[in-house]
Order: sequence, then C-alpha cells, then structure tokens
Amino acid sequence: MANIFKKVFFVDFLKGLSLTLRYEVSKSITMRYPDEEKWLPYQRFRGLHTLNRDSQGRELCVACELCAKTCPTKCITVVPMEDDKGIGISDRIAKVYEINLVRCMFCGLCEDACPTTAIRMGRDYELACFSLDCAKAEKKRLLAPKEIPQELDGGYVIKARFERTKEGLKVRPDLSKKKRWW
Amino acid sequence: MSHELITMDINTLIEVALIIVKVIFVSLTLFALPIPLTWMERKVAGHIQLRLGPFRVGPHGILQPVADMIKLMFKEDIVPDKADRRLFWLAPLLAMVPAFAVYAAIPFGDTVKIPFVDKEITLYISDMNVGILYILAISGMSVYGLILGGWASNSKYAAMGGIRSSAQMISYEIALSFACVAVVMIANSLSLLDIVNAQKELHWNIIYQPLGFIIFLIAALAEINRIPFDLPEDEGTLAAGYHVEYSAMKFSFFMLAEYVAMVTVSVLAVILFFGGWNAPLFLPEIPIFWFVAKVAFFIYFFMWIRFTLPRYRYDQLMTIGWKILLPLSLLNILVTGLFLL
Amino acid sequence: MEKIFFLIFAIMAIASAIGVVSLRNPVHSAISLMACFFQVAAIFVLLRSPFLAAVQVFLYVGAVMVLFLFVIMMLDIRKATISRFVPGGLFWIVVILIALVYEILAVISKSNLLARRVAAVRLDGTVAEIGKTLFTEYLLPFEVVSVILLVALIGAIVMGKKEIK
Repeated sequence: MANIFKKVFFVDFLKGLSLTLRYEVSKSITMRYPDEEKWLPYQRFRGLHTLNRDSQGRELCVACELCAKTCPTKCITVVPMEDDKGIGISDRIAKVYEINLVRCMFCGLCEDACPTTAIRMGRDYELACFSLDCAKAEKKRLLAPKEIPQELDGGYVIKARFERTKEGLKVRPDLSKKKRWW
Repeated sequence: MSHELITMDINTLIEVALIIVKVIFVSLTLFALPIPLTWMERKVAGHIQLRLGPFRVGPHGILQPVADMIKLMFKEDIVPDKADRRLFWLAPLLAMVPAFAVYAAIPFGDTVKIPFVDKEITLYISDMNVGILYILAISGMSVYGLILGGWASNSKYAAMGGIRSSAQMISYEIALSFACVAVVMIANSLSLLDIVNAQKELHWNIIYQPLGFIIFLIAALAEINRIPFDLPEDEGTLAAGYHVEYSAMKFSFFMLAEYVAMVTVSVLAVILFFGGWNAPLFLPEIPIFWFVAKVAFFIYFFMWIRFTLPRYRYDQLMTIGWKILLPLSLLNILVTGLFLL
Repeated sequence: MEKIFFLIFAIMAIASAIGVVSLRNPVHSAISLMACFFQVAAIFVLLRSPFLAAVQVFLYVGAVMVLFLFVIMMLDIRKATISRFVPGGLFWIVVILIALVYEILAVISKSNLLARRVAAVRLDGTVAEIGKTLFTEYLLPFEVVSVILLVALIGAIVMGKKEIK
C-alpha cells in the first residue's frame, strides 16, 4: 500500500529534488584559489626549503655538507668557506648553497640530517615557473624572510590576492583573515 | 499578381511589416537564448554539486558561453571519411529549423497597446486554429536531424544514437499528444490562444489535469532527449550518441536545437497547463512578464531534474512509454470526456 | 499569388516523388518522400485545410517516415544501393505508368469533379466540421477503417509472437 502511494505521488522523486535543492542553496565548498583564497598548509608541510638564522641574525648553517651527503637525489650543492666577520654561528659558512628543485623530491631528509636546524622545509608550494632559472634555489632565495612566519599554525584557508607582475604570477596571502573550509 | 500588390493598402503593409519584425525578433531571441541558458545550466550543475560552476570569464563566469561560442566557431569542422556528406550537412539544419519553426504558432501574450501610437499589437506571430497540432507535428520533425545525423556519420555509436532517438520519439510522441488531447477537450479548441483564454481566473488546467500534466512532463522530457531520457546521446554507452562525429558549428547547431526544444517544451507546459500569461493568484497582470517567469521556472526545473536523476535503461524507457504512459494517457482522456459530459 | 505557390509546391512534390523512385540510396529516397509529404501538406494549406495539413505532417512526416527510416537503418543497405529496384527493367514501368495515367484521366473526365465548385470554406471551424462529418455522414467508412487497422495491429502482434516461440 505504502509502495503504491510512493509510486503514485512520486515520493522518491520529490525527495531527490528536495535534496538537490538543499545542495543548490547551501554554500559551495570550492576554494577560490588563486583569485581570492589560498590554502595555508600545516607546519609539518614539506614545501620549499628555508635556511634559517638564529635570534641574533647569524646564519645557522655551518656548511657541514651533511644535507648534501644524505640527499637521495643529490640535489644539494654546498661549498664551504672560512669567515671571521661573524656572519654564521661559527667560522665556517656556506659560500654556495644551492638546491636543484627539479631533482628535489621534498623528502625532508636534509632537515633531519642538519645538526644546527639551519635547513627546514618551508610552506611555500607555488614553485611553478616559466623558465628553468627558478628551478635553482640559491642561498639568497633560501635565506630571504618568508611571507608566512614559521610559528603560525596552518591547516586553513586564508585570503589571498592574485598578482601579475613582471617577475611572474604571485598569490599574495593576507594572513589576517582565515577560514576553515569544511 | 501585380494588381494584388497594388491593391494592398497601407494597413496590410503595416501588418506584413509587423509580422516580419516579429519573426526576426523571435528568431534572434531564440538564437541568443542558448547563451544565458548554457551559463545557467552550468551554474545550476555547479551549485547542486557544491561547486561554483564557471567563474573565471567575466563576473561569475557570465561571459563563459561567449568564450565557448568563439571556440566553437574557430574549431576545425571535421567530416568523417566515409560519411554521407550531403546528409551530414543537412542533419544539423533539419534539427534546427523545426525547433525554430514551432514558434510561428506560439503566443507569448494576448495583445499590447503601444503607447503614443494608438495601435494594438498581438503578441504572437500567428494564431492558427490548429495551433497545438502544428506545434506537435513540427516539433516531432526535429528528430530527423538526430536520425539522419546519426546515420550519415557512418559511425556505430552515432547510428545507435539515431536509431534510439527514432524509437524513443515514436514511443513518447503518442503519450505526449494524448496528454494534449485532454487539454484540447477542456478548452474545446486547438488554438493555443483559446486554450490560454479558457484558463482565466485561476482555472488553470493543472488543477483539472494533474495526471495529464505528469504524462506531458515525462513524455516531453523524453521528446527533448534530456536526462533521465537522454539515451540518444548517452555518454556512458554511446560516447556522445548521434552527434559523436560532429564538431564546430554543426555541433553547436545541434546544441542550439536542443536548447530551443527545451524552451519550447517549457512554453508548452506553461500554455497548456499553467494558464499561459494569466497572473498567478491575484497578482496584477503584466504583459509577458508572468509568461516569461513561468517559462523560466520550467527551464530551471528541467535543469534541476537533469542533475537529480540518473539515466534510465533502454528497456525501462520503452516500458515507461508503452506500458505506463500510453494506457494512463488513454485513461486520462476517457475520464476527462466523462467529466465533460 | 496562390497559383504561383501552388505551382511551386506541386512541382516540388513531383520532383521529390521522382526522387523517391530514382535515388539509389534508400535513406535518400526516404528523405525525398518526406519532402514530398511536406509539399502535399503545403498544398492542403492552400486548399484552406490547415487541419489536414497538420495531420499530414504529424502522421506521415512525424511518425510513418520515422518508422521507415528506423527500418531502413536496421537493414543492410549496401547491397540495395548497388542493385536496381525493378528487375524487369524500364518496359513494365512505362506500361504500368501509361495504364495508370489513362485510368485517372478516364475517371476525371467522366465525373463531375471538375465542374463542381467548392463552396466558400470558413477557415475557423474546419476541425469541428471534419469531426462532425466523420462521426455522422461517414461513420460507417470510419469504423470500417478503424476495424481494419485494429486487425492489422493484432495481426502484426501475432506474427511477431510466433517467432519468439
């Protein structure tokens, strides 16, 4: 009896329609990257490496080359040099510190090998570019201050602005506004 | 012939000019309609699936159909090697022309007085006394585009799509016409104008013909090949069905015909069952506005169904057509006849 | 004006009818037949009978021809496009054609069809009039035709069933 009622009045059909209508008016889950929003990864994220400094602004890297030795893809080149000007924390600093990003597989072993926590995996994941030049991350780029501070916890969507500049495309984050997208 | 032309006075000339203007206006509108409709369909699809739909071309992606149109225009027009070239050319036109020709008999409103010039304009190209028959006959013809397009492509999938569409058309045309017959019996006229005028003051046919309306809606969905009855262009089993070999503008002609057919069916549903341009409840009468609003609702409804229901199997399609809709529509006619007596 | 239109439609109808029998490809023939039906419908309109025109398009173009095409597409038409349709050649066609034309002319010349003038037809009530005459004056032929159609229908079903067994 109930079955016949269901068939005659298209109960299942109407149920389906109301379900899709509910979805229709509910908020979409699309993240509007890169135009308006951007995903801020967790702290554990393994993105572009960073070379860090201590609290006095001295480079932590002592050019021990452990990272280069442990790297499975051999993509890190370190050339050490003597230094007495106090740039680093000891008298040995890296003259050249270069990571070949095309070969790097972001495994994070360099991070583990580093005795001074100089090299860390950062949270910058927009590494695509139009020429091979930017596939080489040299010391200057790795040392440069990051847009997203290390202390900030991640795991949510932040506002962002899509910029077209001469250097290329850039999604500039705005850390003040955040939302959890689920 | 020459003396007939001379004796044509100024009033007939104005009438003829008016009709030509109306024809041009209606066909241009129909040509332009797929632009907002494709956008709307993709937006509806997106939101139902919790996406946003097109968003990058123009504000809220409103220019996306224009971009698509430009793309379609510049794509390579491929004709398969062993296709029947003449029919391959003819098929998109055969699909499109009937879809447009239907609008010669469709009224969009009664009459409107133009301000300043003291003249009444009828909001239809012609009021045929066989209007509904004409519309059913002509709209049934657009299936030739599908059949011949499928056959001329010389491709298995396309041929299967063509065969499916012809069988589907024959099966559902009967139920569709019978659903219309009951409405004609109530209005006592085949003219669409009379049918609408018989539904004044909320005596809409949907109240008297709920069963007829359901039959009409289901059969119409099958006639215009939309989900859940879009078996002629079933992506899952036939790639793209009858238009699998078509590209560029020929393909867009098929798309155009499909969208215009959807509008036609919405218009018919409004005229036959929802009181045409009569205002709902006790709202004020505004020329054309209510008509367009109702048609827009039905277009939305068809899109809504498309993203709600899955596709029927082919044997289910035939079962619904012959074993359920046809007896029900006959019963509907019988009951309507008894009530009218 | 009307005469010109009539001539256009009539010539098109005859041309497409010739196409039906002369075209090799059955699908092309079917399309010519469809075009022919359409021209005849147009002539019905000229004769002030829009109802018959609509029915002509509805039934013949919309349903019967679709079925024809359906069947043609199911068949293997490659063989048919090569072979000639009438094995006996042109001779028998010409003989039958002449006989038919003679017959038609004989009937027309004897009857008073040419002399009878069609009464002025009102355009607005044709559907109702046709319905009324069908169910009063021509009730018997109408019923006979429907019984014949019913018999054909049942016969088709019976023949179809047999093969399944």
